Formats: sequence, C-alpha cells, structure tokens
Amino acid sequence: MIDLFRSELLRFRHWALAYALLHLGMLGFFARVVDPLQQPDVVYLVVAAVYALSGLLLALYQMGTYRRPNTWLNLLHRPLPHWQVAVALLVAAASLLLLAIVAPLLLMLAGQATWTARVVDSRHWLLPLAAFLVTSCSYLAGVFAMLAPRRYAAAGLFGLLLLTASHAVGASALLVQLALVLWLLALVATAFQPDLTRPPVRWPGLMAVALTVQMAVYVLLASAGLGYQLLWMLQGSHPLNSTPPAGGYIEASRADGADLMAAGLVSSRVAEAPVWREQVRLAEVFTWQRQFDALPIRNELGNIAPMEFDDDARRLRWIFSHDTMRFTGMSLGDSQPAGRMGIGPAQAPFPKPPLPIGGKFLASADTVYGYDTQHRMVLPRIILPAGETLALAPSAMGEVVLVMSNRALYGYDARAFTDGDSVLAPRLRIALPAPIGDIDRVDMIELIDGYLVSFVTGLGSTDGPGSPLQAMVHVSGEGKATRVGQRALQPDFPLALRHYPWWVSPVMHDLRKLAINALAAPMPLKAQAPQPIPTSMKWLAAALLMASLLASAYWSRRQGLPRARRVAWALACAGIGVPALLAQGLIHPDSEG
Amino acid sequence: MTDYVIETRALTKRYGKKLALNHLDLQIPRGRIHAIVGANGAGKSTLFRILLGFLAPTSGQSTILGCDSQSLTPALRSRIGFVNEEHTLPGWMTVAAVVAMQRRHYRQWNEDVHRDVLGNYHVLPEQKVSQLSRGERAGLNLSLALAQGPELLILDEPTLGLDVVAKRAFLESLLNSNAAESCSIIYCSHQMEEIERVADNLIILEQGSLVNMSPPDEFCERVHYWIADMPFKGPDKSLVPGLLQVQRIEGLFHYVVIDQGEDFADFLRSHGARSVQGMPVSLDRAVNGFLAKNHIGPEGHEPRP
Repeated sequence: MIDLFRSELLRFRHWALAYALLHLGMLGFFARVVDPLQQPDVVYLVVAAVYALSGLLLALYQMGTYRRPNTWLNLLHRPLPHWQVAVALLVAAASLLLLAIVAPLLLMLAGQATWTARVVDSRHWLLPLAAFLVTSCSYLAGVFAMLAPRRYAAAGLFGLLLLTASHAVGASALLVQLALVLWLLALVATAFQPDLTRPPVRWPGLMAVALTVQMAVYVLLASAGLGYQLLWMLQGSHPLNSTPPAGGYIEASRADGADLMAAGLVSSRVAEAPVWREQVRLAEVFTWQRQFDALPIRNELGNIAPMEFDDDARRLRWIFSHDTMRFTGMSLGDSQPAGRMGIGPAQAPFPKPPLPIGGKFLASADTVYGYDTQHRMVLPRIILPAGETLALAPSAMGEVVLVMSNRALYGYDARAFTDGDSVLAPRLRIALPAPIGDIDRVDMIELIDGYLVSFVTGLGSTDGPGSPLQAMVHVSGEGKATRVGQRALQPDFPLALRHYPWWVSPVMHDLRKLAINALAAPMPLKAQAPQPIPTSMKWLAAALLMASLLASAYWSRRQGLPRARRVAWALACAGIGVPALLAQGLIHPDSEG
Repeated sequence: MTDYVIETRALTKRYGKKLALNHLDLQIPRGRIHAIVGANGAGKSTLFRILLGFLAPTSGQSTILGCDSQSLTPALRSRIGFVNEEHTLPGWMTVAAVVAMQRRHYRQWNEDVHRDVLGNYHVLPEQKVSQLSRGERAGLNLSLALAQGPELLILDEPTLGLDVVAKRAFLESLLNSNAAESCSIIYCSHQMEEIERVADNLIILEQGSLVNMSPPDEFCERVHYWIADMPFKGPDKSLVPGLLQVQRIEGLFHYVVIDQGEDFADFLRSHGARSVQGMPVSLDRAVNGFLAKNHIGPEGHEPRP
C-alpha cells in the first residue's frame, strides 16, 4: 500500500508544488492589497469554489486515467485488498491537497499573525481545515463520478450543493463538511471495485448510493420548475417579466408606496380611511425591506460583511476580534497596533459580534451601538427586548428613527439618537402582523396624530407556498397600534407550481430541508409561518406515490431483481415517489438475460 | 487441486442485444501454453475480464485456479499474472521503482527470473517507464509477470504493435525463461506465427463460443488446401463439403476445406475438375480460413482473384 501511495505522490509532485507556489503567490498578493480575513462571504465562496474545482479536476484526471480497462485491471489485479489500493490513492491525493491548498493558507495566516497588526482569530486558523474539507468533498465527488457506473456517476456532485446551501456556521459548518466527506467516502468505497459497471452488491452500499441518487434526481426535478418558468418567460406572459396580475403579490411588492397604502385602505371600515387615502397621496411614504437575513455569530468562519470600520478623524481602523470580543485598533498611517476597544469606559467585551452598519453605528443581534470618535469609545444606544433580533438598521423618518426586530417595529427619538450617548427607550412599538421571514415590505407615513403603516407579507410566495396579505396599522400619537385594514393578495402562480417541490416528493422535500438546516443555529430572521398544504396537492402527491409504486413493480421484473430488492424498491417508491423510481432505473439497468 | 486452470460452464455475457460470450464451456488443463485465437469481437477480452473478476457474466459460471472468478482474493491474484497489450505500467516511475514495488507486493518474487528476462532488453534501472520503447516496456512487463512466480500467466496480445525484432525478443524471453515452464500460460494473439511457435494447445473462439481446442498440429491436419482446374463454374458452394474458403485465381479454383480426406479430390473430379492438387496448409492459413468461414464481408467468402 505504501508503495502505491509513494507512486501517486511521485506522479503529481511537480503539479502540486507548482500549484502550492502559485497559490502562495496569489494569497501573498491578495494580502498586500486587502485583509484576506475581513472579506465578505461572497469572496470566501469564490475562493472555496476555486479550491473545489481544483479537487474535482485532480479526481477527474487521476481516476480518469486509472479507469481505462487495462489500467484499472493493472491497478487492482495485485495481491492487495482493493480497499488498500483505494486508501493509497486517496491518502496520496489528500497529501497533495494539503501541500497545494492547506500549506499556503497556513503560511499566509502565519504571515498575517507575525508581521501585521491585523486580527488573526482562532476561527481564522480553521479556514485551512475548511478549505481542505471542501476540496476533499469535491475530490471525492469527482472520484465517484469517474468510477461509479455512468448512469448515476454524477449523483455525487449534487452533494456539493450542500456546502453552499447549509445554514450551519463555524464549527458546525466544519462538522457538516466532515459529514459530507464521510458520506462521499462511503460512496467511493462502493465504486472502488474491479467491475466498474456493477452497482453495489451489499445493502449498506446500495442504500447509500440509492439515497444519493434519489436526492440528485429530486434536485434535478425541483430545478425543472425553474426550467418551466424560463420557458414561460420566453413565451412572454410570466408574471415577473410582464405586467403582473392586478391584486396580486407581485404587483404589491413592486407598487409605489402611496398606491400600495391607498389600495390597503380601500376595504377599511374605519371612518378615517377616506381621509387617510387622500393623505397618503400627499405625504412622503417611507419604504423599507428587511435588511438582514442574519447577523454575525461568534466564531463563524466567514463574515457577513467586513468586521471593521475606519475612524478617519483619528486615522484608525478598528477590526473586530472574535477571540477578545473587542475591536483591535490599527493605525492607517503606519499599520501599527493602536490598542483595543470594548463597550463603554470599562472596555467590556461585546456579548455578540457587532457589525459596522455605517454612520459610526454598529449592530449586533439585539443591540445598536454608537461609536464616539472623540473618546474612542463604543456605547449601546438601542437595546431590543430579550429574545428579539435586529432585522433593520436604524432608519430615519422625520422625527423618529425606526428599527425593526423579528417581532416589532420600534420608533425612537431621532434627535436623541443622533446627538445623545445614552440607551434610548422606544416611543412606539408596532407588532409585526406575521413572522419576520414573511415580511416583504413596510411602508409608512406620518400623520398629524400618529402614523399609518402598511405591511406586505408573503415573502417567497411568488413561486412558493404562502398566503400573502397587506395589513394596515394605525399608530396613535400615544403609540397605540390598531389594525385598520387588511386585504388578501392573490398568488400569481398556479397552485401546482407553487407547491411543486413538495408534491413531487414530500419526503425528499423535507429531507432536503433537514440536510440544509442540520447543525444550524436558530435563525430568528428567517422564521416563517407554517404553510398548510392544500388538499388537492396532497391528492396529487399521493397519486404520484401510487403510480411510482406500480411502475417500480413492473420495472423490477424487467430488471430481474431479486425479491428482497424488489420489495425494497417498491417500499422506496411508495414512500419517496418519482425520485426513487428514477433512481431504481438508473442504478439497475434492464436485465441482460 | 482442480486439473483445470480455467473452467467455464455455460458462460454468457450480453452487451445489449449482442452476445459477447454464448454459453461458453471451456476447460483449460493445467500446464503448457494455451493459445486463444479468434476474430475481433470473438469474446477473448470479455472472457479474460470475467475470469479476473472485472466483469460480471450475464449467466453461467467461471473458475480460475479452482476459485469462483467473481470472488478472487488477493492471495489468489498473486498466483495469476496478467500482461495486456498496452503494457500499462506507471510511466512516471523509474524501472527500479516499479520493480521494487512489485518485489514487495509478491512474496514469491524471483529476482533471478526478473533479471534473466529483462537482460534481453537494454533497459536501465534509472530510466523512467515513459522513456522506454514499446518493446522494452513489453519486456519489462513480461519480466515483472514471470518474476511474480504465477501459477497461471495470461498474456493478452502482448506483442501487439511491436516490430519484428521486438516480437522476436519477447517470444524468446518467454520461451527461454524457466519460470514459463513452471506455469500454465494463456497466450492470446492474432499472430499465427507466434502461436505456431509457442502454443501447445490451440483454442479458437468464434462469436463467443468454443469452436476448437486441440494441438495446433492436429488442427492443421484437419484443414487442407485444394487447387482444381475446372473449365466451368464449379460446384455450388453449398454443395462443397467442409468448405472454409474458396477463391478463383487465373481460372483455377482454390479451396480450403476442413475434415475432408482424399475423397475430396473425387468430389472435385465429379464436378468436372480436369486436374486436382491437394496440399497441407500452414496454421495461419488454416486459422484464417476457419475464422473467415462466418466472417461477414462485402464479397462473402469468395474474393475476387
């Protein structure tokens, strides 16, 4: 085994070394221009994609050359168990990836920590591990793509989608990546066999492959809904690229603020409604949408946005450290360290990482802070009630500054917010009419004796489930909020299309959600009201399950499957439906006999 | 211990609608050199891939060295050598490194055999495999396979693409090696002069079925070549007994027939032959005629003179 390992290292040593040097050069250049550790998530995503592509190309080339019939025979026909040959090749590849991907990253981090005043936290030292896991995932998916029977070889590549779709952050994200590596290793183990055309013989291997292929088929089927929409757009009558239907959700989400508020008052039975309808035409309408999907979480691997801000007056850059939970100062003139900064005069650590939101303000999950240049100090200005999370940064509207949490809209005195340095108490609180994940837009005007607010809910219901509506709320001068109108907004898409990802396979729909949310921390800003499935959609799903079961029984005979497998596939089709049926066809070709 | 190194029973392999192996019953006894010949698509490579466990049969059974070929253990694989026509060796390694790796993998490695065989080639240990000529690579591959001390050595068209000198060197390396004498060798080739020189037993596969297994000499004795001077059209082909091939060259009919005695001359004379001459054929002619019998071609099996 060690000989094959050495042989493989020898084979790719020049390529790996050249890659490592180029990689180090790129990182070095990048580090000279910007701080690589304070980039937004999208930058990390692009870099991770490059690493993933590198791993994939290594696998495609390495196994592509081995899978040729005579080469494969020469590789495996030797007095070694196949698993030892596999381990030799995979460990060699892992070693090459460590050299080409991980070593340059570690050198870059060491350089940052040694020679700069930039912040290098514990979480940053985990980035090379994340890069290695991501690259390993794509490498293993590539190995499976090369060695598994052609009919379903690409299924492993769909597993890589989990890397971008997963909501896990920090160490949990590493665990998800590790789990995916282990899963792909199991798949490779099923494919690394002398006969490359044969599906797994043993039950555990078959079940792992079957689940993977079913999920890949499901993702493809779900994507077919988007394909249908593209054709609809080409045809020219798609609601999103033509005049949207009147009274619908798309029309409301695009409407001018005054028109929208006027429409929301049409059915209002409140006596003042006609007057308000006139006032919305005359007043300035302020419109907001949810600003944050999430706020920084301690020890996350990436950054929602750069965790730093500049104090131009003092020529300082403040970079937040997750380790100390304080800001670390760096002189913009000579890049030398310039102290630390916590909360208040005591320089207390921040309870949660704060995100710079412009205008010398910082926002953590439940607190808005203000930065005092003169005293080089950060002070809390707005503290949300316990359990609430910031969804909208402070936004000025006349004499008030509005802040939206996941539960309510708050108004604060604008002058006190701008000029003061104390924690503010809200002047008004308007409870949200729906979970924050459903709120599409908020429109508001100032009345002589209060405020009129419009909430449009149904975010994501354009081509998904949801019950969009517009709610009108009047806030009195004393801050009392009263619902003064409501209208249901019509869905713009056909019912079957909006629920398509569910009825095509309810089990896989839920399994996908489960995988995406595995090990994820609670996400209060994505909370949505549960959407009941219409009865007609349930019948449609049941009919598909039944049809899949019957088709599976017929297909099993043609495939000449043993009885136990026939029963297993029948059960899978009865529970999972079309993805299981198609997976059965892909994994088991028709009988040769 | 079974008497057969390879044994198949009703072995069938189907690729879609095409039968690569058609209920093949084959029993190859231990010892000697067994040549397997057949036209392209006769099922030779498919047979080897099934025997080595790299392809599952559609139906039937196959054993190699007495074990089910679909469940070969590493220990059993060490007893089976295999040399393919591409001589796929890691091109990035030096000869010395490849040899060292094989030496560690095979417990029964015989350094003398390796040195003897490779001594027929001008190969330096520090040379990379990719720098070797095709003939040198074939020699290295053969030396590695023989030095493993296999009980069964399968050579799948090992001289394909080699020039005359390299072919001769390869065959002499094989025949002169002591290791070759102690193992059963399956030699697959299209080169009849090689078969004639090395084979003790001739196995002919046609369309996935066994159509002959006998010593090459015996097979040659079954096939005869007749030249007849017939002024007219000659007998209808369907009437010619044991016909393998017929050609008309400069007014003379040339027949290749199988399992026909001297009375074939009488048959020709009864159909108007003025003179008849019979003669034995070479193995090349005999096998080609035999394989051409069912070969599909634009002119059937009666090419223009």
